[in-house]
Amino acid sequence: MSIFEYNGSAIVAMAGKECVAIGSDLRFGVQLQTLATDYKKVYKIHDQLFIGLAGLGTDAETLSQRFAFKHNLYKLREERDIKPSAFGQLVSATLYERRFGPYFCQPVIAGLEPDGSPYLCGMDSIGAQETAKDFMVAGTATDSLLGICESLWRPDLGPEELFETLSQALLSGQDRDCLAGWGAVVYVITKDKVIARTLKGRMD
Amino acid sequence: MGTTIMAASYDGGVVMGADSRTSTGSYVANRVTDKITPLTDRVYICRSGSAADTQNLSRYVQWFLEQHGMELGDDPEVKTAAKLAQTMAYQNKNLLQASGGLAGLIVAGWDKHHGGSVFAIPLGGTLVKVPFSIGGSGSAYINGLCDRLWRPNMSEEECKAFVVKAVSHAMARDGSSGGCIRTVVISKDGIKRSFIPGDEVPVAAGELPPPVRQVRA
Amino acid sequence: METAQQGGFSFDLCKRNEFFAAKGVQHPGFTKTGTTIAGLIFKDGVVLGADTRSTAGSTVADKNCEKIHFIAPNIYCCGAGTAADTENVTGMVASQLELHRYATGTQSRVVTAMTLLKGHLFKYQGHVSAALVLGGVDFRGPHLFTVYPHGSTDSLPFATMGSGSLNAMAVFEAGFKDDMSREEAMALVARAIRSGVMNDLGSGSNVDLCIITKDGVEYLRNHEYLQTKTYERQFPQKFASGSVPVVRERVYDIRRAVQVVEGEPMEMEVS
Repeated sequence: MSIFEYNGSAIVAMAGKECVAIGSDLRFGVQLQTLATDYKKVYKIHDQLFIGLAGLGTDAETLSQRFAFKHNLYKLREERDIKPSAFGQLVSATLYERRFGPYFCQPVIAGLEPDGSPYLCGMDSIGAQETAKDFMVAGTATDSLLGICESLWRPDLGPEELFETLSQALLSGQDRDCLAGWGAVVYVITKDKVIARTLKGRMD
Repeated sequence: MGTTIMAASYDGGVVMGADSRTSTGSYVANRVTDKITPLTDRVYICRSGSAADTQNLSRYVQWFLEQHGMELGDDPEVKTAAKLAQTMAYQNKNLLQASGGLAGLIVAGWDKHHGGSVFAIPLGGTLVKVPFSIGGSGSAYINGLCDRLWRPNMSEEECKAFVVKAVSHAMARDGSSGGCIRTVVISKDGIKRSFIPGDEVPVAAGELPPPVRQVRA
Repeated sequence: METAQQGGFSFDLCKRNEFFAAKGVQHPGFTKTGTTIAGLIFKDGVVLGADTRSTAGSTVADKNCEKIHFIAPNIYCCGAGTAADTENVTGMVASQLELHRYATGTQSRVVTAMTLLKGHLFKYQGHVSAALVLGGVDFRGPHLFTVYPHGSTDSLPFATMGSGSLNAMAVFEAGFKDDMSREEAMALVARAIRSGVMNDLGSGSNVDLCIITKDGVEYLRNHEYLQTKTYERQFPQKFASGSVPVVRERVYDIRRAVQVVEGEPMEMEVS
């Protein structure tokens, strides 16, 4: 078994026109045993920046706390919120520092840059950044998610359309993964509001 | 780095020779490698074994010798360079593939106190002063040849011809040696580098007739 | 509690991860750049080329990634191997050289970049797996080096690296000439990369080129775009609102109550 398959997760982020969305499934399990069905894998850094952490649950929680901590320090020093692109570098550096003893986590970062343009980026567990202008996926459902995202995503989706597209992709993608599922949560980030929606999915 | 390297002393100095093949597995990664690396103006080293280890070892020795040369206010002696290389190889032999396996270094050069001299640093990191030395995987094929051909008090030309002949024989038989032949002659007059391209390397394994071009009617 | 780090790697999770491994849990594979990268020296400088595929196992992780990294204004470097390592090792050398330029006020040399790279890679004995083709032009003229993960280097007139290196080298061996023109050189490098893209499974997508001469750099991102989709949808799928079952919705207003406006600098009397 790979360590990435210990808890299971499905994370998708998509870029739209002046908006981004990121969502995850809600299952928390230990191998094939489901322990909780309200476990979000997406963490808020600030109003316009979210990070999804797929992989080993314990490392995801540790990392989310370290990133929150690092962002607090950044705010104290700089008196502003961190830019998503700068945060991407910070996450990458944090992971690469443990090049020879990694956190077993694959992050997906979604946010709006100060100029309102969407920012998306994904990474492997040692911080090899991959920036995309369409979509990013991570977790145990990666294989099925990649295909459907490739097919459903279109450029310049508005916030509502983006939500529907991402949700369709996420729900159908995770249906083909035993280790992810039980509904989903999706955040749509626009210039002046964040819409958080909980989705109903298959409960098996 | 499967290799053929050698160095031989003659009346007024030394001649060093090497093939130019660097391979990773069965792929020739570099066919024009320079395996004869300067340590000081008048002392060179022939490298065989892991390219990474020997390149970096040579860099350290260069650095130490530069410091030493400044303190001395003169060119370092060949034996000093050889001793430094030997110390580095011996102290790190658990880490270096260069001195652990079938590999070794040859330090040779000229200084005003001892004239031309050749030092071999084989397997475990011993240091031996020798009249001539061969090394690398290709050397296994030319032990007898070199014992037969080498003699004291050769002229520069005779010695260089001997080195080229020996290296070309090793290249003919050893699969991991090949490419072209590089030589360096070091004497009191300085150094002379020369290079024999792959297609001009003297035929060593039997005189084969040149390929006949097929002309279609 | 977080302690301020001075840089360098942290090994505190190694013990734990070894424990995982002992329990029979596999260590993950990292994103690799199963790659074709190549470079050659021509009359006025250096041409570097790379494909744009990055892979995680047999999955294409990125269809259009950048493998030609900035080192200095006159030096660039193609990277193959573990993506994170090539990215970070080139970034580190780039920053060291920038500081060195500030300190000395002189143009960076390609050999300096090469020495820094090999020193770092040798220190980590091949565990930092970056295989590089380094090229640039300095006051001594054009230079091209290959750097192996264990820290050995070669200086060559034409060089290839990565899983597609054999394909690319075959093209170079057949077509390389001394003192080629800029156009000839670009065409040959593009052809070498294309042979990797088409014939090596680890390489794919597009061809990036970077031409460095003493007069400047031309970075041609996606010089050849080989990856046009063959299956563009005729009728794009559109989902009407409410196509997925929403259980709960919360909307957060994040408009700023306070707006920060940049002030105009005040006029100052100077007399």
